[in-house]
Amino acid sequence: MNDALQDKKMSEGFALKRHALLSGQECQEIHAGSCRLLEEVGVEVTLKEAVDYFQRGGAVYSEGRIKISREMIEKAVQQTAKTIFLGAKNPENAIHIETDKPTVFLGTGGQALYVLHYEDGGYRKKPAESRDLIAILRLCEHLDNVDFITRPVEPDVPDEEMDLTKTRIFMANTTKHMNLANLIFAERLPEIIQTVQDKSQISFISCVLVSPLRLAGSTLEKFIRIVEMDIPVSISSCPQAGLTAPLSEVGELIQVNAEVLSAVVLANLVRPGAKVLYRGIPITSNLHLDVSPRWCQPDAIRRIALVSDMTHYYGIPCCGTAAVSDEKEPNPQTVAEKTLSYAVEMASGAQFINSALGMLEQVMTVCPEQYIIDDLVIKRIKKLFSESPQYDLKVLACSAVKETLKGFGIQMSSQMEDDISNRMDFILSGMEDYSPENMTANVDLIAQAIESGKSSSKFMKTSRRGLRKGWLFCGQSFEGQLDLTEVHHLKNEILE
Amino acid sequence: MNAILDEIKKNLIEGRVDSEDEGFEEEMIGQPGVTELVQQALDENVPSADILNQALTGGMEEVGRRYESGMYLIPDMLASAECVAKATKILEPHLKSSEIQKQEKFLIATVEDDLHDIGKNIVATILQGSGFEVRDLGTSVSTSKIVEAVKESKAKFLGLSALLTSTMPHMKKVIDLLKKEGIRDQVVVCIGGAPVTDAFASKIGADLYGEDAFDAIDKLAKLSS
Repeated sequence: MNDALQDKKMSEGFALKRHALLSGQECQEIHAGSCRLLEEVGVEVTLKEAVDYFQRGGAVYSEGRIKISREMIEKAVQQTAKTIFLGAKNPENAIHIETDKPTVFLGTGGQALYVLHYEDGGYRKKPAESRDLIAILRLCEHLDNVDFITRPVEPDVPDEEMDLTKTRIFMANTTKHMNLANLIFAERLPEIIQTVQDKSQISFISCVLVSPLRLAGSTLEKFIRIVEMDIPVSISSCPQAGLTAPLSEVGELIQVNAEVLSAVVLANLVRPGAKVLYRGIPITSNLHLDVSPRWCQPDAIRRIALVSDMTHYYGIPCCGTAAVSDEKEPNPQTVAEKTLSYAVEMASGAQFINSALGMLEQVMTVCPEQYIIDDLVIKRIKKLFSESPQYDLKVLACSAVKETLKGFGIQMSSQMEDDISNRMDFILSGMEDYSPENMTANVDLIAQAIESGKSSSKFMKTSRRGLRKGWLFCGQSFEGQLDLTEVHHLKNEILE
Repeated sequence: MNAILDEIKKNLIEGRVDSEDEGFEEEMIGQPGVTELVQQALDENVPSADILNQALTGGMEEVGRRYESGMYLIPDMLASAECVAKATKILEPHLKSSEIQKQEKFLIATVEDDLHDIGKNIVATILQGSGFEVRDLGTSVSTSKIVEAVKESKAKFLGLSALLTSTMPHMKKVIDLLKKEGIRDQVVVCIGGAPVTDAFASKIGADLYGEDAFDAIDKLAKLSS
């Protein structure tokens, strides 16, 4: 921590022992695979400004693709800022991310389209509006386990007004760090900074990558502007295994790593020492049913934690993802899958865990009650980690599910306990080998998929054997009714 | 059944388009797939109608049964549909006009400013496998280009895809321009994509909303019957 920050009282975050799922050797193999992918296949770039940056840095541009050498990648990793200060209106809420410390901070997330309102004993789903954003910010201001705010829903204003309206709503309703997530117009950036006055209080997320291996034009320009202004930004890539990436976790990890690294290189070409966070979200697809994304199933929870291992291997700040439930409403299944996700992602050592509260139905919906439920769940998990600093992750996660459900009036049956135990075994074990041969096979598959021009068909067709090997977890869904009396009461107390 | 027809059917059920396809067993790589076998059958003077009816249609019926029973999953269906689409292209010049079931033209596009193509590609493949003549206009296709393509192709169906809430309004713009050009009644507009709903389809005046490729096929079948 630099001298200027030492005297300031800041949010301490939550420190815990890190539980790595990948060995150093496995991380090294993934890195080698990603480098080969970027050297031989490259990343598609259409924005001339970005192409110029890459070429000046020594990359080769051919047929619309930028090919980046391993040397360039490793230089950029080395240059990337290893500590990031995220200010806040209330200095006590400021966050200091240090990559050599396993301290985690949890915050909200999403660009949810809908808000689930609890009315007359049931939930009603309505399109998100500006007043929902205000209500969620006010609610989260009171929740102890929300360390920062990532924009949960957008205000319902025209695009031209979006950036400044959002900033003003944030300024008026939160004293925590403001992760504004996306920027609609790059030219609004100076006005946003003028509005917040202290630019350390804001950060962004840039969904700059379209899988497989494409840096998106319009978002890329905004990304460059943010980096130029020295504002922290998370580089987001969210491939969906079986659709936009191989179903194999090895293949998906090689790809997501290559994707994020390509933007890390660009960021450091724009501004050496760029304040970027690595945000890889390798989720999976429900290939059994409707190809919808799976965010909170054991396969996805495991893969997201593997990304955290890669960030620790590189020493780059990690913007993690946790607890984006696949369920549509708060229920026992929501609580169970979220609890497992928190435990695993926190243990992975991801420093800045985004999307951690309130989210349901993949990333489509948020719910005020769910923010409070999640806050209570995080509190309980932190307590368990504190009680056993040398924790066994499976034991801790299984106990956490049991205790959190009990807190909402649900007694787990032995069948439920078995299912949770199976989920944790799946998360902790892995089913694939990290041999150089498997790396090569996956790099070749990604290359062929891109070359075919129909990558989704290729990834889907080649997922068939993996599906039969059980690479997507199949479990049961917990039924029942949560006792949310206290939660409803708390929500009304805060918001009325 | 003729041995080669049996082989075509078997490979179609395995979802192997050609010799480079792995199917379910890695050792299948290198052995002829559906396209090579169809060509071989034609070279051996096997009647094209037999190839179509016994091997392709028969194979796809079995794939459908396996999908219904839960034995097959979406990727299996997709792989087999791709086999049918490719094999039909090879067979077409050899079929007598009476044997060719008239293929309806289906234009498909991801709307302007939207670069997502997964859903569109899956739907296009399944539609091809189901007997439609699909023309894929690509991603981020401008409203005017889509309407121009409808005019020029005289397609009976138009499929529009969007993954972003910010690009969904372009679907309405396409419908509005079709009306303005006086050709709205000539084309069935089908829409789909993660944020799209049945209510949105009604609101903008689309004819059909497909939750996924299979839902779209079912609804199109009902529309045709």
